[in-house]
Amino acid sequence: MRLEKCWFCSSTIYPGHGIQYVRNDAKIFRFCRSKCHKNFKMKRNPRKVKWTKAYRRLHAKDMTQDSTFEFERKRNRPERYDRNLAENTLKAIKKIDKVRVDREARHHALRMKGKKAKEQREATKELEQSIHMVKAPAVLQQEPSLTLPKIKVKVAHQQSEENHPMEE
Amino acid sequence: MIQPQTHLNVADNSGARELMCIRIIGASNRRYAHIGDVIVAVIKEAVPNMPLEKSEVIRAVIVRTCKELKRDNGMIIRYDDNAAVVIDQEGNPKGTRVFGAIARELRQLNFIKIVSLAPEVL
Repeated sequence: MRLEKCWFCSSTIYPGHGIQYVRNDAKIFRFCRSKCHKNFKMKRNPRKVKWTKAYRRLHAKDMTQDSTFEFERKRNRPERYDRNLAENTLKAIKKIDKVRVDREARHHALRMKGKKAKEQREATKELEQSIHMVKAPAVLQQEPSLTLPKIKVKVAHQQSEENHPMEE
Repeated sequence: MIQPQTHLNVADNSGARELMCIRIIGASNRRYAHIGDVIVAVIKEAVPNMPLEKSEVIRAVIVRTCKELKRDNGMIIRYDDNAAVVIDQEGNPKGTRVFGAIARELRQLNFIKIVSLAPEVL
């Protein structure tokens, strides 16, 4: 059993999923689901399709180079079964996955950084320009600050609630 | 899903280029043939100066289909064309070379010679 990668979206294909297409030059294209298969038949280039890993890596939305990727390289030589080796490998897989996920999260945070100042500036500008949308000019004359007026809403006072169990 | 009137490519060097299926061997009312089934076919197009000629009726075994082949382990394989290998009454291929990928199912069906000649068994 081997976990393959989808040719189109690069997600893992588990056994029993997806279709393999063998071209006449014996190149095998594996697809994880019919969405990827149909996109392939439409001759779409995965590097141009926004939701694929190929696009994201190409446009630096996701991590491209990392030492954790080295562990996932394809190995063609089967290893002789050794219980200790198998046990250690399973533990290592867990740890490496955790490290990789942490690094990806850090990469994402780094990518999204630097927006707070911009958002703040945009918010203040919007408040200055459009204050008339939420605060009447008359109130603005009395209170020329940019704080929004407090609104009091009257709520109908409810009688003490009686517990009505399901009556028949 | 090969049925009578289906044109198939020939995946060996027996001399035929294109076959048209006439009949499926196996059961009297069988509708479709899949990978590993033997069919009776007529040669529609042949390479000149070879033992096989156009309009000859021969037997062939299907090695590739565009219709997906489902395996017991859940794998589904689809090829790019419909292809067959010309065989004789015993099941030995008439040609000496086989082209293209061949499905592994042929080994279970005792077409060992074809599988051994294949450049790629998938």
